[in-house]
Amino acid sequence: MLPAQLGRAPRHLLVCERGHARHPRSRHAAHVRDHAYSCRVSFLIPECGLLPEVLKSTIADFGEYYLVRNLPIHELVAHEFIDAFVKKGSCYALAYKTKIDQDNTAALLPNGKLILSVDKDTYEELGLQGRPSRYSGKKVMRYIITVDLTDAGFHPESKKHNRVLWALKEKKPLEFDFLLAWYNTGAEGSTLMSYFSKNQIQALKPKITFSTLRDLQCPVLQSNDLQGKPEESCSTEELFEWLGAVLNQVSLDNKSSSFLSTYCCPEPNTVVEKAFLCTITGFIIPEKIIQLLEQLCCYFGEPKLAHWLTLTVHGFADSPVSWRESEHGFHKGGENLYNFVIFRNLDYWLHMAVGTHDDCPP
Amino acid sequence: MRVRSSSACAACAATAWRPQDSEKAKTFVHAFLKRSMPKMKDEAIQDMLTRKAVVLEHYHKKQTKQKRKKTKGFTAKQRRELRLFEIEPEQQRYAIFLPLHELWKQYIRDLCHGLKPDAQPHMIQSKLLKADLHGAIVTVTKSKCPSYVGITGIILQEFKHIFKIITKEDKLKVVPKLNNVFSLELDGFISYIYGSKFLLRASERSAKKFKLKGTIDL
Repeated sequence: MLPAQLGRAPRHLLVCERGHARHPRSRHAAHVRDHAYSCRVSFLIPECGLLPEVLKSTIADFGEYYLVRNLPIHELVAHEFIDAFVKKGSCYALAYKTKIDQDNTAALLPNGKLILSVDKDTYEELGLQGRPSRYSGKKVMRYIITVDLTDAGFHPESKKHNRVLWALKEKKPLEFDFLLAWYNTGAEGSTLMSYFSKNQIQALKPKITFSTLRDLQCPVLQSNDLQGKPEESCSTEELFEWLGAVLNQVSLDNKSSSFLSTYCCPEPNTVVEKAFLCTITGFIIPEKIIQLLEQLCCYFGEPKLAHWLTLTVHGFADSPVSWRESEHGFHKGGENLYNFVIFRNLDYWLHMAVGTHDDCPP
Repeated sequence: MRVRSSSACAACAATAWRPQDSEKAKTFVHAFLKRSMPKMKDEAIQDMLTRKAVVLEHYHKKQTKQKRKKTKGFTAKQRRELRLFEIEPEQQRYAIFLPLHELWKQYIRDLCHGLKPDAQPHMIQSKLLKADLHGAIVTVTKSKCPSYVGITGIILQEFKHIFKIITKEDKLKVVPKLNNVFSLELDGFISYIYGSKFLLRASERSAKKFKLKGTIDL
């Protein structure tokens, strides 16, 4: 009986899509925008020793994000906050250092929806209507409450607003440390720093690391062939595995050592003299990622030796949502990430990967 | 040879199929049974072939129903029609029931021989279990259905499965006891009532013994 259980691994999903970046109906920007919370962005450019100035300035322009300690949630539901930040531009907020499968979590999406993922006891005491989580099994232990802050029926004197405020302020006050970021669409107004000056707010910049890899084996890819032909190009799954190994700095030389691993670069491959790897860690918003993607597409404006380059974005393992509003859970790993491979002719491949307690990405 | 047999077959096919005569059928069946069960005697085979009837039902003598003695008082349907336990809308005002609440507080104080700050919670608990709750101010603190949470008011009527509570906004709310936790506050003593264990009429509750269990999950 035991071997059969060992054979069943928790499921992972990998969705691969192909498109052209300059096609009018291309959905690459839409996919980036749907994935709200990203904690790490890394890109790999083969045959590149130094980063071009344009890319350097784009990365430096990533802006700041804020960490607020012990912020009660009813402050995010207050109408001053909604009018100042949620309605003007896109505001992103995520509870920091809470585990999605154990504690209560909160997140604010840019479209104005506040998502609370609470456990059973908190849900019974809070008194706000929600629905059971899709990944909880027969005895429901987790509930998801969604509050639409930009709803027309949510004005200051309405019953809805009073009930939500009463529940979050008096019945069961919930407080979290929040990661906040705000993308301003040009309107002037107060900044997050000045609004939350009474709480302990810190402004943080994303951490950037550069490294140059020498003598790297890169697979050969054909942009119009996702499956790969046996002697001519590699398939998308092989590329994905290889890329994961490279970004984690695993040496793929297959020498015999105490740990037995036979993973090596997929065939056919070429040896590249140098490759540039850049990693940015922090609370990064999709608008900046779209700008970075545009600059990477412009990289191929001048003739370059590289045939392709990759951009990988990892989401938070403990975020309550993955793409749009689909629920995200943590089973054996909370991965929700996507990866672009951009070719010289501006074709792109897009991989979207999720773990077990997740819906299929769009 | 071949031509003759085919013509015989054709002749058979030409005549329409007719069921066998009853005599022929009988002798055939008899011979078949004899061949299949060589050990059985002839009489036994004949016995099997005679049809026997099976009696499927017995007829009982119809019992006359005993005439039911007329009970004193009304049936439940008639009681509901009389509407003894309904409160009219004009009388559904919170202010009217505040004196009832004062009476109830006095009653509980007498029951516990004066609620001193150092009195044992255990003793108060056991007294409250058997006490009557009409007139108490309760709040729903926990509930499996989140829309019941937060309802506060004076208990007007206690039935087997529900409480009828009047809130400050003069609304009569019917709150089921199942899967709800009510909290009762009196002179600094807060008690939580797990409604799921309280599914009894108020009169029956005074006679019931409650067992101690571990933690109760809703």
